[in-house]
Amino acid sequence: MRVRGAVLHVLAAGLIVLAAGCGGKAPLNNTSLAQSRLAEAETRAAALVKSGDFSGAARHYGEALRIATSLENADAIAANAINLSIVQQWLGRDADARAALGAVLDDPRTAFSDRRKLQAELRRAILELAGGNIGAAAIWAGQAERRCIATNCEYAATILNVRAQVELDSGHGAEAARLAQAAAERSRGGASRAESANALRTLGRARLAQGQPAAALEPLRQALELDREIGDPRKILADLAELARAAEAAGDAAAARDYRERSLAVSKAMNGARGSAEAVLVR
Amino acid sequence: MSVALPPGRFSGLVVKVNAFLLIAMLLVAAFMGLVAYKQGWFVRQSVIRFVTPNALGINKGMPVKLHGFTIGSVSEMQLAPGGVDVRLSLATEYLMRIPQDSYARHAREAGVIGASVIDIVPGKAERALAEGARINFEPSRGISEIIDDFRRQAIPAFNEVKAAMSQVGRSGEDITQILASLRKEVEQLPATHRAIRKLVEEAGQATADLSQQAGTTLQAVERVAGTMQRTLPDLSDKLGTSAVAIGAAATQMQHTAEEAQATLRNARPLVDHGETAAREAADVLGAAKRVWPLSDSFKDTSDGMLPIDSFEARGKGLAR
Repeated sequence: MRVRGAVLHVLAAGLIVLAAGCGGKAPLNNTSLAQSRLAEAETRAAALVKSGDFSGAARHYGEALRIATSLENADAIAANAINLSIVQQWLGRDADARAALGAVLDDPRTAFSDRRKLQAELRRAILELAGGNIGAAAIWAGQAERRCIATNCEYAATILNVRAQVELDSGHGAEAARLAQAAAERSRGGASRAESANALRTLGRARLAQGQPAAALEPLRQALELDREIGDPRKILADLAELARAAEAAGDAAAARDYRERSLAVSKAMNGARGSAEAVLVR
Repeated sequence: MSVALPPGRFSGLVVKVNAFLLIAMLLVAAFMGLVAYKQGWFVRQSVIRFVTPNALGINKGMPVKLHGFTIGSVSEMQLAPGGVDVRLSLATEYLMRIPQDSYARHAREAGVIGASVIDIVPGKAERALAEGARINFEPSRGISEIIDDFRRQAIPAFNEVKAAMSQVGRSGEDITQILASLRKEVEQLPATHRAIRKLVEEAGQATADLSQQAGTTLQAVERVAGTMQRTLPDLSDKLGTSAVAIGAAATQMQHTAEEAQATLRNARPLVDHGETAAREAADVLGAAKRVWPLSDSFKDTSDGMLPIDSFEARGKGLAR
């Protein structure tokens, strides 16, 4: 009986402590006005990206970058600079996109984390490759890869894909196929289905460049399936265009015509004005 | 002074006048016959009646309609006990189409503003009305009555809306505070996301380190075991040449070493399991990133980062 009484006392004391904890005053809010504005700008920019207003998103990411710089918040500076570079590239402003990355890559004083530096270097490699600067892209991708190996980062497949595209654009089809295959294996089963599809597409392109159109068809079909699941019309269009090329090179004119018609339909549906430009890819 | 008329000038005048008068009378009779026909004087009429407490809007000659078709008119109105006795004169041929439980109502042809009519609403009885029968009457509702009715129904609703609005007005301050608190919480969400991501990354790193350390430890143990395996037989041989007892001890030690090696061999699956467990823990963490409610935080590259996609390296031709 005495033991039961002691247990009951302990339980009662525990309940009182718990109730006191629940009824206690909330922790003080230390968020400053500038931090609130930073969070608001980031939230608005993200919402505008989702709604497709990239100009508005760029404006708010720029504002967030400015506030983050005034707060010397290294992580927020890097995050907003990288996001800004992505949106600027979507808007076709490659120079602005490159300049945005300068906030991370050209600032030796601020102690950015390795992860942020790696993201910025990878973005720079993508930008350089998109601009046709293959050599610069290879350098930045190599730098990102070294940092990725050291930090066991999650961008290994992305880096391999960029390197594969660098090799493909340099005319090294075999090396591109090897890197794309490695990227596909690295991204298989992971969360990044987009990179898996990118790897398969690059592998298909590499095999086509090597003069193996029949072998290129299967990875391209897999990439198309993945991209349809992801739901990105730009990638679906690219897959169909590559499939049309591969089928034509393999001598299957009917399949090539089918892929071409499908890609034209996707292109027209995406945007009438841009569609005609995209159609060039198919031919 | 008198003027002499030429002889034969008015001969047959009486005949001519009579003929003219006859034709005129025939025309008048024909006109009257036509009017009488048009007025239904040649149609056999039957009378039915109703009593209304208020005959406002009902006039003599007002058409009586059945299914929108004119079948007669109000023929007579006179005061009676309980109101006004209204008599309707209907064509007899239509009377048989009006069932006994039919009733009359005051209606307008085009909603509220059309011409007034007496509308016979047919009932469902099998037998038709008889000559001189009395039917019920439903007076019409005027605009003022309709508005009054609407007002009676709408006023409670308006009162409720008014009460709700005043309640909202009284609690406006609370709502502002609630919204401000909510906004503060929402503003802290990105920081929370970053913290959660960091936590998970650290956990992932920890499991990776654990896996690496386990591998390293295993290699070290294997090296020690190998060294012992190589060293102990030599030592045993040397000691065996010098002393049997020591040799026996060395043999015993060799046995011990073999047992240790066997133990280590047995421990290998355990370590393998440890590695597998560490890898699975990393998988679980990866899966946790994809499970609600963390999935929203870790979608793409998470913490508010847009996806870094190697597809963007393809050039301007495929801009969004």
